[in-house]
Amino acid sequence: MLKTIKPKGWVVALYLLVPVTLFVFTVFMPLITAFVYSFFEWKGGPNKTFIGLDNYMTLIQDKTFWESFGHNIYLVVACIIGQVGIAFVLVLMINSKLVKFKGIHRTFGFFPSTIAAVCIGLIWNMIYHYQYGIINWFLKLIGRPDLCKVWLNEPNLVMLLVSIPLIWQYIGYYMVIIMSAIASIDTEIFESAEIDGANGFQRAIYIVLPLIKNTMIVCLTLCIAGNMKAFDNIYVMTAGGPGTSSMVMAMYGYQISFNQSNMGYGSCISVGIFVLSLLVIGGSQRLLNHFTKEKD
Amino acid sequence: MANNSQDIKTHKVKDVILGIFLNLVLILFSITCIFPLVWMIYSSLKEKRAFNADIIGLPKNPTLVNYIRILTNSDYHLGESMMNSVRTTVLSVFLIVLCGFIVGYILARVKFKGNRALYGMFLMGMLIPIHSLLVPIYVVFNKVGISNKWFTLLFPYVAFGLPLAIFLVEGFVKGIPVALEEAAAIDGSSFSRTLWSIILPICRPILVTIGIISTFGNWNEFSFALVLIKDQALQTVPLALTQFKGQFASDYPKQMAAMLITMSPIVILYFVFSKEIIKGMVAGAVKG
Repeated sequence: MLKTIKPKGWVVALYLLVPVTLFVFTVFMPLITAFVYSFFEWKGGPNKTFIGLDNYMTLIQDKTFWESFGHNIYLVVACIIGQVGIAFVLVLMINSKLVKFKGIHRTFGFFPSTIAAVCIGLIWNMIYHYQYGIINWFLKLIGRPDLCKVWLNEPNLVMLLVSIPLIWQYIGYYMVIIMSAIASIDTEIFESAEIDGANGFQRAIYIVLPLIKNTMIVCLTLCIAGNMKAFDNIYVMTAGGPGTSSMVMAMYGYQISFNQSNMGYGSCISVGIFVLSLLVIGGSQRLLNHFTKEKD
Repeated sequence: MANNSQDIKTHKVKDVILGIFLNLVLILFSITCIFPLVWMIYSSLKEKRAFNADIIGLPKNPTLVNYIRILTNSDYHLGESMMNSVRTTVLSVFLIVLCGFIVGYILARVKFKGNRALYGMFLMGMLIPIHSLLVPIYVVFNKVGISNKWFTLLFPYVAFGLPLAIFLVEGFVKGIPVALEEAAAIDGSSFSRTLWSIILPICRPILVTIGIISTFGNWNEFSFALVLIKDQALQTVPLALTQFKGQFASDYPKQMAAMLITMSPIVILYFVFSKEIIKGMVAGAVKG
């Protein structure tokens, strides 16, 4: 028996030519370009000066860049707890026999994740608005107008406030993923656990969690990768402000490159984002595999 | 016996309380997910003054004036932006599905030197943090002279959509028995003919999944459009919305109307095909 098909070489080459060229041109060319330009001083004009590792020296000492990196990590942690954590609890609840309208919860819960991050950001801008926002409206309603704030102008609160829309948008997404994983577990396991007297909490931690381990790893990976590239929401809601208190890496790279048209340093930041994101994603992957293997 | 029935009774009471609690929490969750949409829909029917006086109440004199103003004023470029988004989304989804199918099939079935290397290269595309490409892609596209054109966004959208598409097709094709293609070859069917008239129909379900994922992703994509498109006449919907934010800063009903118009295709699509869409998105996420 043949394991493979043997068409003519030129036919295959012809089929592959366009997709491969397009992919290399759009993904790898820019990467190499960024790497090259990161060694130049270049303000977007015709003049470029080779400055060796100067950009990288600046980057290492650039407080704003590291602050942005910290904010990305903040978002990752907030979203792991908020999105995956809350989603897991909701799934345990929704799987109870006592719950009605499961289909509606699924459809409504998943809905926000299909909307553009730009729209979500704009909607939450309205919710946080000082004069016309729902939060301040509510505070006035319960008789505490003294607590009203220009919410997104609070440097200490702003990271929390921009992570809430992010978390909110994707709870339903993770809920549905975890639900489908649990649906594939044999229900007999639950029944025998119930007979053995395991309560809901014990069942969740000792039976459900290990069985959907792989799905949980997928969720965590999606969450980490997704938040390392946070940009749209931040751009719309705060543009990194007030000051730099909600700056994330992609936003910072954008500002340096386009608002200050410092393309050389912007390229260097891009390389920084590339390396740091890969390190975080790769490192967390290692960690997850390590921990889940030990449990076996 | 008496003890036992009492046990069952307290159990039942417990169940009822627990049931009310669980349902309440979940209903609350569902409401928070859908409320912003509902709030926007009825608030967009208010005039600015009515909204500012009462942000949460239902409109007393519902009016379509916001919609009419947005759609008739060509300064806002909303109709154009919608057309740009539709064109970009349709073309890029078509190309992702087409190229993903071809490359995925070849990588799954045809043995040649560099097959695995090519597969690895495309898979790397899933790992590469694409936002590190924002600035460099702008530099390269400007240099080559293909930024700010009607087809500009097709490049990044197709290139970033391909890895997942190829991965899904490759996995799917590996599950199809080779005997099928052998039989076709014995009957004299050429490689291309087998590809298009035998394999393509079999792959339909996975291609639909890819189509769904890329449709939502590309319709909503913002950052690359922001960097690569400067011309107002070429901007896509998310880009247009960020401009409305500046123009209608204090006119929320108008902003809401604009958002609802741009969201409408996605919202309608979602609520009509929600089951298929949820299934497709989840399959894509888990396998990816």
